[in-house]
Amino acid sequence: MSALEKINERCLDLFEDLHFKAAREWKAAEPGRKVVGFMPVYVPREIIHAAGMLPLGITGGGDQMEVIHGDAYYQSYICRIPRSTIELGVSGRLDFVDGMLFPSICDVIRNLSGMWKLMFPNVYTRYFDVPQNYIDDIGGNYYTQELAELVEGLEELGGRKITEEQLRNSIALYNENRALVREVYDFRSKQPWKAPAADVYLLVRAGYVLPVEEHNKMIREWLTESEKVDRPLRDNCRVIVAGLFCEQPPLNLIKSLELAGCYVVDDDLLLVSRWLLEDVPLEGDPLHNLSQAFLHHSEETSAKYVPTLAEKGQHLVRAVAKRGAEGVIFASPSFCDPALLDRPMLQSALKKANIPFIAFKYAENSGQMQPIREQAGTFADSIKLWSEA
Amino acid sequence: MTIAAGIDIGSGAVKATLFEVNKDGTTKWLGKDLHRIRQRDPMELAKEAYHNCLDQAGLKEDDVDYVASTGDGETIPFRTGHFYTMTTHARGAIYLDPEARAVLDVGALNGRAIKIDERGKVLSYKMTSQCASGSGQFLENIARYLGISQDEIGELSKQADDPEKVSGICAVLAETDVINMVSREISASNILKGIHLSMAGRLSRLLKSVGVDDVVMVTGGLANDTGMVAALIEDMEAQKMMMPVRRHDDSIQAGAIGAALWGAYRYERLKELDALPAAS
Repeated sequence: MSALEKINERCLDLFEDLHFKAAREWKAAEPGRKVVGFMPVYVPREIIHAAGMLPLGITGGGDQMEVIHGDAYYQSYICRIPRSTIELGVSGRLDFVDGMLFPSICDVIRNLSGMWKLMFPNVYTRYFDVPQNYIDDIGGNYYTQELAELVEGLEELGGRKITEEQLRNSIALYNENRALVREVYDFRSKQPWKAPAADVYLLVRAGYVLPVEEHNKMIREWLTESEKVDRPLRDNCRVIVAGLFCEQPPLNLIKSLELAGCYVVDDDLLLVSRWLLEDVPLEGDPLHNLSQAFLHHSEETSAKYVPTLAEKGQHLVRAVAKRGAEGVIFASPSFCDPALLDRPMLQSALKKANIPFIAFKYAENSGQMQPIREQAGTFADSIKLWSEA
Repeated sequence: MTIAAGIDIGSGAVKATLFEVNKDGTTKWLGKDLHRIRQRDPMELAKEAYHNCLDQAGLKEDDVDYVASTGDGETIPFRTGHFYTMTTHARGAIYLDPEARAVLDVGALNGRAIKIDERGKVLSYKMTSQCASGSGQFLENIARYLGISQDEIGELSKQADDPEKVSGICAVLAETDVINMVSREISASNILKGIHLSMAGRLSRLLKSVGVDDVVMVTGGLANDTGMVAALIEDMEAQKMMMPVRRHDDSIQAGAIGAALWGAYRYERLKELDALPAAS
C-alpha cells in the first residue's frame, strides 16, 4: 500500500467511525483532557484549542447509522442531521464529549441546543450566535462579546484561564490549517484527476476528529504524495458543487458525481476549515482579530447573512471564474431552509452570468444514486457537447 | 482523421465499436463486437470487445485517439471520457438513420423514449419505472420457462392468432399469468405475442408522453426482436400514432456507435482548445 493510500485509508476509517475512537483516545491519553463538539457551519476552533481541549466536528450520523430515537424528536418535514445527532447522543456515542456548540445556522440547530441542554444537563452546551450585521461598532462588538462569553464558558469547563498567548498560538495553528486546506483545494482545481473529490472530502473531514497539529502534518504529506500520483486525465467537465454546507451528503454521492463525468473543482463542504479566507493577524487582541476576520474576510454561504441583494450569489460567479468551472451543481439536503430558500437567488445570479446549473436534493442516508448519476451525467454531456465554450 | 472507440456496458451485453472520423464529417466503421455478459466480468468483456475491434481494423491501442464509455462503463479504466446512455443512443440513432427524431431504447433492464433533433441532441426523455416487466430480461426469462431460444421469440410471436393478455404492470404478476396460460395449454406464440403487446403498450405510452411526432428508431437489444417491433407498430397504430417506426440490424450497437462518434467530436474540440487528456 502506498503512502497516499495509507493516508486515504486512515481518513476513511476516521470517517466511518461513529464511536469517535481517535477522539476518545486523545482524551484518555492525559487526565483532565476535555472534548468539545461543534456542529456545522462555523465555530472558532482556535478558542477550544487554546483552552487545551479537542474541537470535535459533529456532522450527523451519515448513511451507516440507523436512526430510531432521533425520529421521535422531530416532525417529518425536518432535515435528517438533527435526528441523527440526537441518535449519536442518546446511543452513548458522544458520552465522552464535555461540551457542545451549536452555531447559528438555522432554527432547527438553534433549537437543538436547547434540547441538548435538557437531555444532557452535565454537558457544557452553548448556542453560538454570529452577527447579522457587518458594521464594526455593531456586529463587530456583538461578536467579540460572544467570543468573550465562549472563552469564559470554556475557562469554567476546563478550570483554567485562557491566556492571550495561548489564543495566538492556536490562531497560528489554525491559520496554517486553513492555508493547507486552501492549498488542497487549489491543487484539486489545477489537477482534479490527481485529487478525487471523495479523497479530498475525507482528508478535510479527518480534521474534524484529529488534533490540528496532526491534521496539518497529514495534509502536508497528502499533498506531497498526491503530486506524485500517476492517474490519467479524463475528459470530464469541471463543476462547483454548492449547498452541502450542513447535512453531509453520502460519500457515494460525491463519488457518483465524478463517475458521471464531472470533476469537482470547488464545493462548500466542511466550511469550518475554510471559513476565514485570510490569516487571522497574530498581533493585537486575539478576540478582536477573530471578530474582524469573521466580519470582513469570511466565506459567503447560504448559512451567512448577506446584507446586499446585488451581492447574493456573486461568490459563486466569482468561484466559477477562479476555478475555471463550466457549471454549478446545487445539491442540498431535503428540508434545508438555508440552502433551499437561497437557491432561487443563487440560480438567478448564475443565469445572469450565463453559467449552466442543475439542482437536486439528498439526505445524509440517501442510498439510491441512479437518479443523481443520471442528472449529473446528462449535465456533463450537455456541457461537453452543446456548450458554446 | 480521428480514431475513436465506443464501449457500451449494458445490463445484458457489452458492445464495442471503432470508428474513423474525417475532418469533412465522413465516417468509416472499422470494427464492432458484442458479448452477452452471462455472469462474466463486464470489465473483462469490455477489454476483450475493444481489442477485437482493434484486431478487425488492424490497429493498436496507441492508434486510438479517444475511448468513450457509455451505459455502466464509467469505471472502465482505459476510457478517455464517459457519455450518458441517452446521449449516445441519440447520436447512434442519427447515425443509423438520419431521419430519426426519436429513439426508443429498449434494453435488458428498462426502456427509454427520447425525443431528439437532427444533430442527435436530446430534447426530452422518459424512462420506464424500475419494474422489470418492460424489459428484455423479463422476456428472456419467459422464453426460458417456455423452453425456446431468444432467436425464436420474434418469429413465434408473429405467428400468433389469438394473443393472451398479460399484466402490463408487474413482472411477477406477468410471470404468474404465463404459468396459468401454460397450464391452460395456450400456445407459446400467443403467450409471447401477449407479452409483446403488453410491453408495446407501455413503450408507446412513453413515446406519447415525450411528444414524439416523427420517425422513431428502436435501439437496444430488443430492436432485434422483430416480434416486439411488430407489436409496437400494431399498438401505436391502434392508438393513432402514425409516425414511422424503424429498426436497424445494428440497433443494438447504437450506444457504442454514439459513444465513439461523440468521442471523436470531443477529441477534435479538445484539440482545438489545446486541452487533450493524456493517453490513458
